[in-house]
Amino acid sequence: MDGLKEQLTHSIRFRLSLWLSLAILVVSVVAGVFSFARAYDEAHETQDDVLRQVASLLRHQRTVLLDTAGTADADPESRLFVQYLSEAQPNIKSANALPLPSSLPDGLHNVVLSRGSYRVLAVSLPEGVRIAVAQETAVRDELAQDSAMRTVVPLLVLVPILLLVVADIVRKLLRPVARLAAEVEGRGDGQLHALPEQGLPTEIRPFVMAINRMLGRVSEVLEGQRRFIADAAHELRSPMTALSLQAERLEGTELSSEARVRLGSLRRGIDRGRALLEQMLAYARVQSVETVSSARCEVRLVVRRVLEDLMPLAEEKNIDIGIEGEQDAVVAISDPDLGTVLKNLIENAIRYTPASGRVDIAVQRAGATATLVVADSGPGVAPGERDHVLQAFYRTLGSDQMGSGLGLAIVKAILDRNGAQLRLDYADDKKESGLRATVSIPLAASPA
Amino acid sequence: MRVLLIEDDPMIGQAVQDALRDASYAADWVKDGLSALSATATQHYDLVLLDLGLPGKDGVDVLRSIRGHNNAVPLLVITARDGVEARIQGLDGGADDYVLKPFAMSELLARMRAVLRRKSGAAQPVLSSGVLTLDPATKEAAAEGQPPLQLSNREFALLQALMVRPGSILSRVELEDRVYGWGEEVESNAVEYLIHALRKKLGSTSIKNVRGVGWMVSKSS
Repeated sequence: MDGLKEQLTHSIRFRLSLWLSLAILVVSVVAGVFSFARAYDEAHETQDDVLRQVASLLRHQRTVLLDTAGTADADPESRLFVQYLSEAQPNIKSANALPLPSSLPDGLHNVVLSRGSYRVLAVSLPEGVRIAVAQETAVRDELAQDSAMRTVVPLLVLVPILLLVVADIVRKLLRPVARLAAEVEGRGDGQLHALPEQGLPTEIRPFVMAINRMLGRVSEVLEGQRRFIADAAHELRSPMTALSLQAERLEGTELSSEARVRLGSLRRGIDRGRALLEQMLAYARVQSVETVSSARCEVRLVVRRVLEDLMPLAEEKNIDIGIEGEQDAVVAISDPDLGTVLKNLIENAIRYTPASGRVDIAVQRAGATATLVVADSGPGVAPGERDHVLQAFYRTLGSDQMGSGLGLAIVKAILDRNGAQLRLDYADDKKESGLRATVSIPLAASPA
Repeated sequence: MRVLLIEDDPMIGQAVQDALRDASYAADWVKDGLSALSATATQHYDLVLLDLGLPGKDGVDVLRSIRGHNNAVPLLVITARDGVEARIQGLDGGADDYVLKPFAMSELLARMRAVLRRKSGAAQPVLSSGVLTLDPATKEAAAEGQPPLQLSNREFALLQALMVRPGSILSRVELEDRVYGWGEEVESNAVEYLIHALRKKLGSTSIKNVRGVGWMVSKSS
């Protein structure tokens, strides 16, 4: 019901169709009534003319009046009564003769008799003989109705057709609007190129042009942001590099053992700042860079490359890490994007799993999607926390890990713009421990 | 060895110059593109370190100018810009390698050595992962602090494949490809057998298995 109301108040197409249809209906009803009435009157006049013609025929050509009404095969619709109208000239005895009063003056009359009502024309002939030509009113009305109906029937047949045609025309005229809506709806976050302005109705073109101008401004802002990120990367990395180079050089000099310990903390701090900087830049980048819609990559190759980077970290904690199963999949996501997703997920898994723990990676295919699972033997994430950990800079309580707080936010941002999903569960439901991150990515269309 | 450092950031420049001197290089440091070009025009250098983000004349222009003068000096680009484009621009412009900021000095020195070695045409250097060394000339391998041991041809081929890039993981099929030539019949478990033999000679942690992926030689020391 709400849907209908919504359509009534907001859909131009619906309202246009509705009002046009109503207008057509009203006009055709009025036209129908008029033409019916006109045709009905016309038919009656025509029939009166017939009576007059019969009378004038009798005036000029004296014939014996026959009982025309009596013949059985006569069509009742064409039945005319012709009879004398005076006592002196008695009518031919017939059951069909009408008991008309002889005092009927000349002219047309409607006479109501016990057998029904009649239209009677009384005429005085030159010899003083009066005759009456009559026709049954019911028959006359039926004839008039028939002929009036014939003028209305085409209207009755054409109106529904007209309504369908109107609905179709309205739909066709509004198709460019529907096409535009579909185009805008189907766009990804970063696709800000102008909408097509050709082939649009003049009423809609200014609107589309305004939208295009706005798209242009937005993409300029985004471009500025992108440039800012690139510049910020440069400006921030240089001092960071200088800092870490100095610390590195310090290590090569003569130091007391106490100073060496402090230098160690200093370098860890610098490394942490560096990692945070890289993560922030990565986060900013995934939010501003366009996605490549035709991207594709092989999951196992990317997993292997990521593992090559992360093996030193895993070895340090003596963590057993590996891929389960033999399956591979080609997915619709760019190689660097998937690499960043897997690096963050696997790095988190290694980071939060205690020493000598285990991290399992699995690739599966189901229908048109591939699922990538990274499961660890760490503490896991409680169900209530799962939405929060995806937010930037959120930290779980009691975590002593020095992550950037951005890893999962980066993963989420990348997956969102690639039409992929992330689900977090316990790796071991009974013990409520271990984090299992499941990524579902659409498979890449096979190359044509 | 004389090295020209082109870097506009004073802190980085100072630190790198000092570190280069510590590593026994003669290091000249200039801060902009024009002085860099006049330096390369008047002085012979064995290696140039070029920061791409220079004020005034852009690093890429400096690179083109140096190469434009038919100067084939080994050149390493240092860049803080990410994005594959910037790197490709550097390599296409004639750089021999690039280092991404922030970098560790040890990494920069290693890249410099690699570029110099490539340029001088020294073939088959001794491969090293920090823990293991492998000499392609003699087919001898050594674990850290241990005397070198002679490897069989297949053991050598397998270890060499893993040590070309320490830290990279190679699958069974890839290792089989390196060890067996075309038409040679691959015995089942051949890779496991060879790795077992290598571990016996070089220590059980010398070659690591990554479950479901393959084998690797660790990069770190």
